[in-house]
Amino acid sequence: MRFTWMCKEPRSTVSGRSKLKISIIGAGPGGLAAAGYLACLGYSVEVYEKQPLPGGMMTFAIPKVRIKDETVLIGVEELRDKFNVVFKTNTKVFGNHEPPKDEGDHFIKNTVNLKDIVEQSDAVLITTGTWQSRRLKIPGENGPGVMSAVEYLYEIRAWEKGLLDHHPHVGDRVIVIGGGLSAVDAALEALEQGAKEVILAYRRTKKQAPAGIYEINSLIRKGVKWMELVSPVEIVRKNEKVKGIKLQKMKLGEPDESGRPRPIPIPGSEFVLEVDTVIEAIGEIATPPLVNNFLGIKLDRKNRIIVDEHYRTTNPKVWAAGDVVTGPSFIGNAVKTGLYAAKSIHIHLSNKLL
Amino acid sequence: MSQQPGKIVYLRFIDLDKCIGCYTCQAVCDFLHDGRPFIKVYETEIGLRTPLSCLHCSKAPCIEVCPTGAMTRDDTGAVYVDSMKCIGCMACLYACPFGIPELDPQLRVATKCDLCKPLREQGLEPACYAMCPAEAIVYGSPQDIGEKIKKRKAEMIIRARTSGPMLE
Ligand SMILES: Cc1cc2nc3c(=O)[nH]c(=O)nc-3n(C[C@H](O)[C@H](O)[C@H](O)COP(=O)(O)OP(=O)(O)OC[C@H]3O[C@@H](n4cnc5c(N)ncnc54)[C@H](O)[C@@H]3O)c2cc1C
Ligand code: SF4
Ligand code: SF4
Repeated sequence: MRFTWMCKEPRSTVSGRSKLKISIIGAGPGGLAAAGYLACLGYSVEVYEKQPLPGGMMTFAIPKVRIKDETVLIGVEELRDKFNVVFKTNTKVFGNHEPPKDEGDHFIKNTVNLKDIVEQSDAVLITTGTWQSRRLKIPGENGPGVMSAVEYLYEIRAWEKGLLDHHPHVGDRVIVIGGGLSAVDAALEALEQGAKEVILAYRRTKKQAPAGIYEINSLIRKGVKWMELVSPVEIVRKNEKVKGIKLQKMKLGEPDESGRPRPIPIPGSEFVLEVDTVIEAIGEIATPPLVNNFLGIKLDRKNRIIVDEHYRTTNPKVWAAGDVVTGPSFIGNAVKTGLYAAKSIHIHLSNKLL
Repeated sequence: MSQQPGKIVYLRFIDLDKCIGCYTCQAVCDFLHDGRPFIKVYETEIGLRTPLSCLHCSKAPCIEVCPTGAMTRDDTGAVYVDSMKCIGCMACLYACPFGIPELDPQLRVATKCDLCKPLREQGLEPACYAMCPAEAIVYGSPQDIGEKIKKRKAEMIIRARTSGPMLE
């Protein structure tokens, strides 16, 4: 990915720009796309990233059969070596007194307060994505053998890069709960890693699954077992270990707020399925590096950063883009909002230079 | 009716087996053209997302029907609209099997993907090709593309043959 697709080398002629510092928090597709645009224009760009390597979900969650690390990292190296973008990896940014625990926090060596970054920069862009997952909140959930799709994929991708010394948990009989892109990717990865049986369970039908009929059918062709109209009620453990999952059958009712038919539990239909690993892929939540109202930055009820049409937050020095603003979406959405946010920063700083 | 001008030096090919439907190509194209992307990802009824853009056909029907010679080919083979010559009749849209040409409502001329002509003139690459995270977009000489795609398909066939029950 050539994040500097719009130029051959940084523009050195525009006086003053290289003295302006733009800090970007989070090196996923949104942050990297913005870094490319701003580096092309000749600004000095610093990127804070909690992982040892940039790329976000592209390098730490999405299976490598879909996106290869090299494709992303070639572009990162170019940003660093040719465009002098500074990457501060293994560094977690936070915006209150105690850094919160998110997923994928394994490699943090430093923590930096957002307040200091904002003070020392001419503009700040937040692109920290969605590094927390919704949980089922059912009995037996806490303990080994149960994890979110991001946690599951994250360890596998970290291990592939030689970043972990222990082999990550793969499981023999794996059930994935959910019907979206993360669920599909977790099921695909479990198969790739050699799990003996992989089940994908969803509470509505294939037709309503956000991942789409095509993706699910292609998983079925690869050997994944598809179960629809079921919802988990309990995880069965014996001596700590996961032994199975109790599922309840569902039927479809009237459309709910989402416009899709509401799944209604069928009383007395519970049954236990023997599994040793449960992967919850029921949605990710925005993880801004701050609490609501810190530095005047406002969050909405889903923890997403509130921005105006130019991706500017309620703090005039701070912009935000990508999934931390929109909630879980697509790489292209992060790239697009990251670029438009960067353009807005550029317009703002150009006015300042005049 | 104009002759088919020019040679095909470079082609773009979208490898749908590699595409993950992530909208990145559309995103950069949108940004470059102020909100009007010329490569767009469509979600089909079965939920498969697939990008669609001009194929820069070797015997382009849009060039054939263009009455003013506005629809033409640049010296690398990319089909583009010379907006000074275009009268906005949209005959090209009727002729295109993929419904690609669009009317620019402000300029009242046909407009479409030109494989990032302004970027290429600075020695850069088409933006969608530069940014696709799945390497689904291939850009190069027709020979190189042919080789690259065949090699990928060979890998796929071998992967399919050697995975699953075949190894057990
Ligand atoms: C399992 C899974 C599968 C997916 N599959 C696809 C797919 O096939 N196609 C597709 O288009 N999209 C897919 N997506 C969605 C896609 O990955 C996201 O939409 C996209 O990555 C969002 O980009 P972003 O830049 O906003 O955030 P991210 O990619 O999440 O990047 C955010 C970055 O910020 C860092 N960070 C977070 N908090 C902090 C902090 N406090 N301090 C410092 N750094 C921090 C993170 O480590 C990360 O590198 C998938 C998502 C998941 C979870
Ligand atoms: S950027 Fe590549 S993978 Fe993404 S939708 Fe476009 S062609 Fe497909
Ligand atoms: S506009 Fe249509 S007919 Fe013309 S080159 Fe493109 S795909 Fe072919």
